[in-house]
Amino acid sequence: MPPEAAARAPLSPQLQAGLIIVGVIVLLGILAPWIAPHPWDTISMRTRFLPPNATYWLGTDEYGRDVLSRLLIGTRLSLAMGLGATAISLAIGVPIGLAAGYFRGWVDEALMRAADVLMAVPPIMLGLLFLAVTPPALWKTALAVGLVYIPQIARLARSVTLSLANEEFIQAARARAEGASYILFREILPNAWPPLIVEASLRVSYAILLGSALSFLGLGAQPPSSDWGLMIAEARSFLDRAPWIALAPGFAMCLLVIGINLLGDGARERLDPRLKSRIAA
Amino acid sequence: MAAYIARRLVLIALVLVAVSILVFAITTLLPANVAYLILGPFAPPDQVQALEHKLGLTDPVWQQYLRWAGAFLRGDLGESTLMNRPVAPLVMEALGHSLVLAGTAFALIAVIGIALGVIAALRHGRPLDHTVSIATYLGIAVPEFFWAIVVIVVFAVWLGWLPASGYEPFSAGFSAWAKPLIAPTLTLVFGHLAHVSRLTRSSMIEVMQSPYVMAARAKGLPERVVVLHHALRNALLPAITVLALDFGRLMGGIVVVETIFAYPGLGRLVVFSIQNRDIPTLQAAILLVAAIYACANLVADLLYAFLNPKIRFGRDAA
Amino acid sequence: MLTIDDLTVRYRTLAGEVEALSSVSLFTRKGSTLALVGESGSGKSTIALAAMGLLPAEAQVAGGRVLVGDDDILAMTPAARRRLRGTRVSLVFQDPFSVLNPSLPIGSQVGETLVYHRGLSRAEARARAIALLDEVGIVDPAAVARRYPHELSGGMRQRALIAGALAAEPELLILDEPTTALDVTIEAQILKLLETLRAKRGLTMLFITHNLGVVKRIADEIAVLYAGQVVEHGHTSEVLRSPMHPYTKGLLAAIPRIGARKEHLAAIPGRLPDLRDPPAGCRFQSRCPFATPDSALPQALLDLGDRWVRCSSALRLRDTIWPDDPPTPRATEQKREIGKPLVEAEGLSKSFGRRAGLFGWLSPSRQPTETYAVSNVSVSIAAGEVLGLVGESGSGKTTLGRTLLRLIEPTSGTIRIAGETVTDRPQRALKPMRRAAQIVFQNPDSSLNPRKTVRELIGRPIARFRLAARADIPARIDALLDLVRLPRHYADRYPHQMSGGEKQRIGIARALATEPRFIVCDEPVSALDVSVQAAIINLLADLRDRLSVAYLFISHDISVVAHLADRVAVMHRGEIVEIGPAEAIMESPQHPYTRRLLDAVPRLDFP
Repeated sequence: MPPEAAARAPLSPQLQAGLIIVGVIVLLGILAPWIAPHPWDTISMRTRFLPPNATYWLGTDEYGRDVLSRLLIGTRLSLAMGLGATAISLAIGVPIGLAAGYFRGWVDEALMRAADVLMAVPPIMLGLLFLAVTPPALWKTALAVGLVYIPQIARLARSVTLSLANEEFIQAARARAEGASYILFREILPNAWPPLIVEASLRVSYAILLGSALSFLGLGAQPPSSDWGLMIAEARSFLDRAPWIALAPGFAMCLLVIGINLLGDGARERLDPRLKSRIAA
Repeated sequence: MAAYIARRLVLIALVLVAVSILVFAITTLLPANVAYLILGPFAPPDQVQALEHKLGLTDPVWQQYLRWAGAFLRGDLGESTLMNRPVAPLVMEALGHSLVLAGTAFALIAVIGIALGVIAALRHGRPLDHTVSIATYLGIAVPEFFWAIVVIVVFAVWLGWLPASGYEPFSAGFSAWAKPLIAPTLTLVFGHLAHVSRLTRSSMIEVMQSPYVMAARAKGLPERVVVLHHALRNALLPAITVLALDFGRLMGGIVVVETIFAYPGLGRLVVFSIQNRDIPTLQAAILLVAAIYACANLVADLLYAFLNPKIRFGRDAA
Repeated sequence: MLTIDDLTVRYRTLAGEVEALSSVSLFTRKGSTLALVGESGSGKSTIALAAMGLLPAEAQVAGGRVLVGDDDILAMTPAARRRLRGTRVSLVFQDPFSVLNPSLPIGSQVGETLVYHRGLSRAEARARAIALLDEVGIVDPAAVARRYPHELSGGMRQRALIAGALAAEPELLILDEPTTALDVTIEAQILKLLETLRAKRGLTMLFITHNLGVVKRIADEIAVLYAGQVVEHGHTSEVLRSPMHPYTKGLLAAIPRIGARKEHLAAIPGRLPDLRDPPAGCRFQSRCPFATPDSALPQALLDLGDRWVRCSSALRLRDTIWPDDPPTPRATEQKREIGKPLVEAEGLSKSFGRRAGLFGWLSPSRQPTETYAVSNVSVSIAAGEVLGLVGESGSGKTTLGRTLLRLIEPTSGTIRIAGETVTDRPQRALKPMRRAAQIVFQNPDSSLNPRKTVRELIGRPIARFRLAARADIPARIDALLDLVRLPRHYADRYPHQMSGGEKQRIGIARALATEPRFIVCDEPVSALDVSVQAAIINLLADLRDRLSVAYLFISHDISVVAHLADRVAVMHRGEIVEIGPAEAIMESPQHPYTRRLLDAVPRLDFP
């Protein structure tokens, strides 16, 4: 759908569902400190391992803390992880991809070979490697996740740029003696951002998943933080007694990731259905 | 074709060298001092310095790297500082276990994933397609370790059918060996099935709408011929490529699964070596994973080149 | 043989329900060839699909029958329909490349219908396929049968497709624009092949095309489609000699003819009606110069004895021809001034070699060794002159045009524009040259940035070269829109809101914005319908006269080039094989390739 027609078309059910889910979760995350029914970090040995009931809607954990409240606070951490890491990937990856796709030649080769090296190690291991050298902290995890996903974003930006660079209006710009920066930022980028935005939104979900996996392995948030991955890791030992401690953050993460995927896919359909065939990511 | 393989192998070697430099560079930044680990935290400074000098830790970094790389190529992967055993057999054993797990999961993912994708595409728009789509959507969105938790809670805690962790060697009998493998394999399959299935589905849908499929129908060919003879071979091409790449992804995902199920594979070894600052093991394990990943990519490219007539049989005629 | 009776087909699209065919009735007699002519949006491809029972799921047959012989395809069971395809009716598609399965060898694709319809074994089918490939004129058919589609040229693929379509010996052959994607010389060969096959096998053909020259050559009867209706149907020679429906008259007047050079082609103004809500009366009314109040009434297909016309004024207009476009009065009546050489190229060459770089050798398929797209070309264009550049695909004409502007870097040779050598400078220093030398592109969908308004598209060159103060730019934009005959309010439109012809006009306006002295027109009308082409060609001719701009007019269509050009250069495989005044080249071509080219063009003229 061309840019202006898109604004008038009705939202697909996919897009609506995605917006609602993500919107609600974001809202809950923002309002968490005020709407959490109990303090998330107060230890209380009397209320350990309580199954979900009227006071503690999602039960309590091994230290008697309310799972729901911890979940709500953890929402902020997950969202911050996803957005922060993706922002880093985009900020570094998009210019690299644009440059590689537009200038071609040795610039392209060098950048893409560097990307190949980074992609030679599976993402989670690369993340582990980066985080191995320093005492763990959530912001470092976000940074590591961001770095890990730079090559993928760069590759996508490059292929989008490559396909756009062949369009005749780019040739027309060169025929006007436009400089490289004008062509990149005023001709290519405005046409390139739809697929990039869609990919970015999906990357947020990957970042959340990878970040929580790293927290799960102990290389992300540290106790007593209520990061979802950490919650699941801590709950492992009690799966037989109190499965809800692990299931709650797990479901929350599923919901968030599903919502983001719905949003991303819905956005992709809307922005340009031709994109899928034109751009071979 | 042979020349192409040779060239790609050279590229893989180059990439692995680059990765080894990356790994070495990062691990030399590790603050833990190997000497203190060996002598204990209260050792007198001059003894520490002497040991450092003996271990070559005071040499310039690039010299250390070359020494390490040289030893590596000779097959000497060093000694694990944690377990005081040579690294090479340790890593190889772990690799073997991981390959068993990844291999089984991969076979299942390939067969079931492609079958589901093709069926969903052929029933495009109908209830079966929608069901498969929703299921695969969930599959993609659900994080791996959550699948693991669910599998454990359902099969181990509630139903009690499967053990939640552990490993038995093959020598203990097929059933004893297979049982602990089921849960982690199941987890891996759930996690990766969706990806393959979705790609196969969309590739198949695209092929079914292509001009040559329409032309085949225009010739009045029976539908099963159109699907099996004309469409499938073109639709599977991207799917097969992705599968080969997925094997590499599987090696990555295995880290979490092995940790949860306490399965003694390469992934768990990497996590252990990080947690315990066992640098030699970490270096060897990561390089091995990178090598496997690179080989998986090579196989993917080779398969694609082999199966795609455009590449196999050369360029267009004039 | 094939009878279409009162067929109405509607498509469900995102934008609403479109009535692609409205009560269409046609017939082909056994053994004869009916040409179905129409522009994009006329519904001709829908008829082909309907005749095969291949309408997609979004299409709904709202009424009518399609009879092959005596059997109604639409009333058949799907199994019966399937058996019909390939055995009684065969379809040859337009684009010979995408229609062949890239993963199967040619031989198996040609012989398929024999295996599944006639029960031949694989080996027998293969042998038959080789014989068929030989029959369609393919050299070394056994070897070709083993090859894959990408290894064959366009002409060979089309021959193979025809062989495949004829394998099971159908009675009716439907061809949907079979030669549109091919070069003119190859087209001539394929047409000859079809004539031979038709005679030998007694085929009935339904030939869909937009090219009236091809129609004259190959068809006994012609049916003209407009906006989903048949507007005229009759014997080819009669219809082409004395068309009765205004649309047919307009089409014939819009086509440039070799040997009948007119000052202005007649253009058909306006656009197709919106088929989501087709007008109840004459659908051509809004564009018809002969419209009367009667035209608002529903028009029936009048039977005039072997001629059918859907126009209530047909008899009255029988001898009227389509009015010529009034030529715009020129500032002075004197002959157009052709000045000194403005663009000079000497020894220009461009080669595309191996993929460069350290890692070029890492890709599995090697590039062929150096090919010269342009080979030692020397040419000059004088100020105010139009040099036509004609060639088929692969001749290098587009490369030459872009190399002259240094949009592609030449491998060797010199280029001088307005006396200044431009080949020895870095790209940065080319700004003055870029102002003086501009380009108009072929594809209206790709030549305009989809996210910019017309104002931005046309205004940018003015701002870039500082040709007017900021405050004066809107006035300049208005002037340019007037120049290309578009309403001024178009300045706020986006490309997707304009038709192909309008977008092309914007492309021209953009090129003119820098006040250039030389414009490379790279196939500017090839992607447009015939009726729109004429208007653009007229526009270019006008601008040439008013602004004394020199053109390098590149096209594969020699009749279009001949219409506009003072001199013509013929290009073949990177070299200019002949160059001279336009009339001389058209009337007495010297080089064998030029002669072949001119012979191959399907002519519309009557002796």
